[in-house]
Amino acid sequence: MVFTLKYNNVSESREIPQEYYTIKDLIMDLGLSTQTVVSKQNDELVIEDTVINDGDEIKLIQIIYGG
Amino acid sequence: MDCTKCGNPNVIIKKEQSGQYLCKDCFIESIEKKVIKTVRKEKLLDKGDKVLVALSGGKDSVTTLEILNSFRELNIIDICAVTVDEGIDNYRQDGVDIAIRHAERLGIEHRVVSLKDTYGITLDEIMQKPNHRGSCSYCGVFRRTIINKAAREMGATKIATGHNLDDEVQAIMMNYLEGNTDNLTKLGAKTESEAEEFTVKIKPLREIPEHEIGLYVVAKELEVHFAGCPYAQQSFRGEVSDVINKLNEAHPTIKYSTLRGYDKIKNALKDDFKKDYSHGRCVKCGEPAANKLCKACSFIEELKGD
Ligand code: SF4
Ligand SMILES: [Zn+2]
Ligand SMILES: [Zn+2]
Repeated sequence: MVFTLKYNNVSESREIPQEYYTIKDLIMDLGLSTQTVVSKQNDELVIEDTVINDGDEIKLIQIIYGG
Repeated sequence: MDCTKCGNPNVIIKKEQSGQYLCKDCFIESIEKKVIKTVRKEKLLDKGDKVLVALSGGKDSVTTLEILNSFRELNIIDICAVTVDEGIDNYRQDGVDIAIRHAERLGIEHRVVSLKDTYGITLDEIMQKPNHRGSCSYCGVFRRTIINKAAREMGATKIATGHNLDDEVQAIMMNYLEGNTDNLTKLGAKTESEAEEFTVKIKPLREIPEHEIGLYVVAKELEVHFAGCPYAQQSFRGEVSDVINKLNEAHPTIKYSTLRGYDKIKNALKDDFKKDYSHGRCVKCGEPAANKLCKACSFIEELKGD
């Protein structure tokens, strides 16, 4: 069970670590804040409570930068 | 979870403060309606205004332009824009280009004004000086002066900036925590200066959380410059922002209540703490100034110093 993560021009394949693994869990695991990103699942905007499925492409777009 | 408004199953936001879920179209509409409501409630626009948008190319200024343009389409106002090029290598040009494309797309009068042309120095050059005061102090002062001047030259009756709910709440809390009652009297949706040389400033996005503005531009597929300034520093504002966002997790209405509370006491603050405005002029550039030189010119003199 893998998905593709796209964030800041990097694209990587990641294992889905647990059942009902959400985008919010992913954001936490990456050490980011839900405040600073918006999320797309297979090119569609979604809420962070969305569960990641096998084969998904998850894109995190950073919208808030310091300064 | 379906959209609370229309039942569409593809929702893009859960509004923590109200428990509402919204789909893309309903979310976009809700933001635009809310900004229009702020404009009406705070009387930010008068028919016939020429509004100068301070357009950096970032999400806040592009959203401001996009939504104010609906008033222009109704022939209520005219719009022009100015972009300040501070001269920051590998950073600023992208925003400038994006600003130019938006102005062209909408067919509005637009000027790009550089620090280099105005003051003969770029921010990069300033940062090479041993006696500099930190990038953001210069940016703030020079940008404000350039925008005020452009507004007068372009015949603008209002200046619109992209300040959002987070910016405003940070400013309220920072000034409060620092005991800066003078600055505390100057916040609000519309800053009216007694000096006629200063154009009235308006903040149409003042009630929209920063995160929702980011979501709005992505949802609407508006081209904006998402990037961090290389000179962004650890600042008191950043620390205050972190605290407020932390509190906001368990108390999702806290930003709104801080804003509302401030609005309630603002007039009382003004009555008690407003300083008399000095009607002086800068001897060097003629801009309004409290001392012999305006802030921008005194910075330039100081930088020349060694
Ligand atoms: S973060 Fe960069 S662009 Fe923003 S005020 Fe500071 S120096 Fe200027
Ligand atoms: Zn809807
Ligand atoms: Zn001056």
